[in-house]
Amino acid sequence: MVVRALALCILMATTSVFANHGELLIERVNAKFSYTWLALDKTIKAHKYKAAYLQRCDFALNERHYKSDKYRILFYGQYDEMKRMTVKYPELAPFIPLKITVMEEGAHSLIIATPPITLLPLVKTNEDRMTIFRWNEDMKSILDQVRSQYQ
Amino acid sequence: MKLKILLVALGLPLLSFAGGQEIYSENCEKCHGFSRQGSLGLPLYRSTVANHSDQYLTKTIRYGRPGRIMPAFNLSGAQTAKLIRFLRAGVKAPQYDPTPIVGDADAGKYTYEQYCQRCHGAQLQGGEGTGKNFSWQKDREVSPPALANQGFLRAAEDQMIKRIIMNGIKDTEMMAFGKEFNFTDKMANDLVAYIRSYEKPIEQQHESNTSEEPLVFVYESANDLGITVDKLRDSAAAYNFRVYPSRTLFEGLGGIAGDDEKQVVIRFCNFKNMQKFLKLDPRLGVILPCRVTAIEDESGQVKVYLENYMHAIGRFNNEQISIDAQELINDMKEMVEEAVW
Repeated sequence: MVVRALALCILMATTSVFANHGELLIERVNAKFSYTWLALDKTIKAHKYKAAYLQRCDFALNERHYKSDKYRILFYGQYDEMKRMTVKYPELAPFIPLKITVMEEGAHSLIIATPPITLLPLVKTNEDRMTIFRWNEDMKSILDQVRSQYQ
Repeated sequence: MKLKILLVALGLPLLSFAGGQEIYSENCEKCHGFSRQGSLGLPLYRSTVANHSDQYLTKTIRYGRPGRIMPAFNLSGAQTAKLIRFLRAGVKAPQYDPTPIVGDADAGKYTYEQYCQRCHGAQLQGGEGTGKNFSWQKDREVSPPALANQGFLRAAEDQMIKRIIMNGIKDTEMMAFGKEFNFTDKMANDLVAYIRSYEKPIEQQHESNTSEEPLVFVYESANDLGITVDKLRDSAAAYNFRVYPSRTLFEGLGGIAGDDEKQVVIRFCNFKNMQKFLKLDPRLGVILPCRVTAIEDESGQVKVYLENYMHAIGRFNNEQISIDAQELINDMKEMVEEAVW
């Protein structure tokens, strides 16, 4: 337990030093949109999160000569934990549930997200920072696993 | 023992044994594509890279293109060298004389306006949008580079710019102006002098800094939750947003018990702006749809929370969308201020 906590603390410290928080998380998936969407849904569940709902952003894109209208945003989260966090820090509410954008690009798909670690300034205790940090690591893991399924 | 193993494991990623292809996959293929065919970033064909010296590629990787999507990468010298070797794929690196080209910038300006402005823009700002994208509407297949970009000017040798002007770039829309339009040596030199005149000293280059702005704007409503939500919806419609049905904050996550009706998300979108911004940067989805969250606390006080989208947009490294989005975000703030008053 102590080693695990220490590991997370060291990881947090190294991530703070070396990671560029100013950038979006992006992965290119070697699969069409529908396969990527399916893989994302399954991977989110495998990480013990629940897909809340999706937002389609395909309004008249085909009519406007876009090559694809496959553009969706998946919202996901864990109710108990996110409820606890937003009660304690209501400023987190605009960022909850977490979301991942999926867009088709030819035979590939792009999956894009804002890293949750950018929410760190909104929380005050180490325990809550660890929660945010875990959301961030989980999101990175989800994106990476979706990508690696179609390598 | 466990601690030692842990520390070694944490240190391993800092040492790179990866080859050029792995470094490309890790850092570049997201934007430049699996086959370097271009996407959010420009294509990196062998014929394109053949024009660039190792120094140009090294500086481009290190400094990126501020405000033009390409971020600065913190790769080691060895990693950068491996990556460049991979990009070259056996094509020999050109060597350019580092001596600055002397030319008449005023004459170059005239030539620029006649031949280059149509693609590269009146202020050398480059084409709209991202590098190359297969799924989204584009005026051109490849967005013309921003010649006034300080990252480009810092990386490019004068002789490289001149060579590209005269010989063009194979497999792209950049023509060989020496052959196609009979450019003389002097015309090319003048043009290089004009492009170089946009370079600023490093101390004058500054990045917009949103880090001191709040991540979230918080407003106290003078009304109860029901009236606040109604007024937010009306206000959004008055500001030309299409308003979607409202959701509770945890809708879909917590079952019926989780639908706390004292936490309401009001979602809205201006489709005209969405189309405009999607054209500038297809990664826009990370901030969609626009939303405000109204929450009633235990004392009955209602507060409205609006994300400061400039923080998320700042991560696009896209100057054009940052400028255009500021007006939209100001509209959203006014919209909420009117609703909570």
